[in-house]
Amino acid sequence: MRSAVETWSRKLHICLGLYFLFFLWLFCLSGVVLNHPKWRVAGFWNERKQMSSELQISRPAETDDFLAARSLMTQLHIRGEISGKITHAETGEFGFRVVRPGDIYEIKADFGQGLARVDQTHVNGWGVLNMLHSFTGVRRTDPTQQQNWWPTGIWRFSMDALSVGLVVMVLTGIYIWYNRAQRRRSGMLALALGFLTLAGFVSGIF
Amino acid sequence: MRTQFNFLTRDLHLYIGLFLSPFVVLFAASVILLNHPDIPLGTSIESKTDQVHVDLPPGLDRLQGMERLDRARQLLRQAGVSGEIGFVRYSAEEGSITIPVSKPGYEATVVVKMDTGAASITERKTGFWNSIIYLHKMPGPHLANIRGNWPVVRIWAWLADGTAWLLIFLSVSGVYLWAVLRSERHVGLMLLVVGLISLFGAWYAICG
Repeated sequence: MRSAVETWSRKLHICLGLYFLFFLWLFCLSGVVLNHPKWRVAGFWNERKQMSSELQISRPAETDDFLAARSLMTQLHIRGEISGKITHAETGEFGFRVVRPGDIYEIKADFGQGLARVDQTHVNGWGVLNMLHSFTGVRRTDPTQQQNWWPTGIWRFSMDALSVGLVVMVLTGIYIWYNRAQRRRSGMLALALGFLTLAGFVSGIF
Repeated sequence: MRTQFNFLTRDLHLYIGLFLSPFVVLFAASVILLNHPDIPLGTSIESKTDQVHVDLPPGLDRLQGMERLDRARQLLRQAGVSGEIGFVRYSAEEGSITIPVSKPGYEATVVVKMDTGAASITERKTGFWNSIIYLHKMPGPHLANIRGNWPVVRIWAWLADGTAWLLIFLSVSGVYLWAVLRSERHVGLMLLVVGLISLFGAWYAICG
């Protein structure tokens, strides 16, 4: 007879596993490709397409750099996360970079002439997959970088949800296993082996 | 026959899942830390800078790639430093060579003066949380020609790949078991579809 906790643990384990199935595949596959930069599919950067264009713009009314950049993006029909610093060149050029999985835009606007030069780098599907793997809009190494595009927020939330979901699946899985007396000893061996292997790496013993 | 296959699948799902559990927790925790840079990771302890004398292996300034790395490794052995070597930088102007070294929870920079062989070693203990972030990112896509120059990182690369492939196996075997055991059939099917729609929805919002 299963206890209520075990029944709910099973339900949760199955439901979370099914909901996150495709998210998990995406991150597993992109993780493997990221770890093998010499694989052909990882060579998406060498196969990138670069396009340049010059478009007419009007000077944004906003005085704040970030808002002015957003206004320019609207004029240029560019969507994405403003990444890195917004620059003002001595020539008066207003420059910034926009990133979204698949595309990187370098924008240099000359308000005096009313022109913006857009250099676009486009990568293929594997490139999109790899960029999605680490598309958070934030960096530990650069505390000034803040997420500034709402779809990035959704993606970050998906990553968080997957992480929490996986931990819950681990806990429910361990609970379900522990209630099986027949598999307790052999399961303990598998769990301990995994734990000790990892502990060796984390602690720096190896 | 079919029952035997089901039992085998269930056992594999169980034991592989248990072995992988700590790895999954590590990757999940590091994702949260990478996603939220405002979460503090504890203090890094900068240890003293040591000065030692080393015999310079020949060609360190001229060689490139793995050959330069082999020479740098010889030098590190003399300095008593071990770990994954990063991008080795030679400065003719300063007459020195800089060797960054890292391993989980530890970073060091060894700067060697080419004329005297005087090496200064700056070490830093980065702590537990940084070590799990380090493992999450290793070996990664950068410095492809020299990455995995420390055997521990090479072994870790195997384990990181293994974790990804085995997670895919666990998910496939899990779906199989769910299908044959006929539990949570309707809710499960609905969640599978909702999960797929969520992924494509997020994908479309970003890339569409």
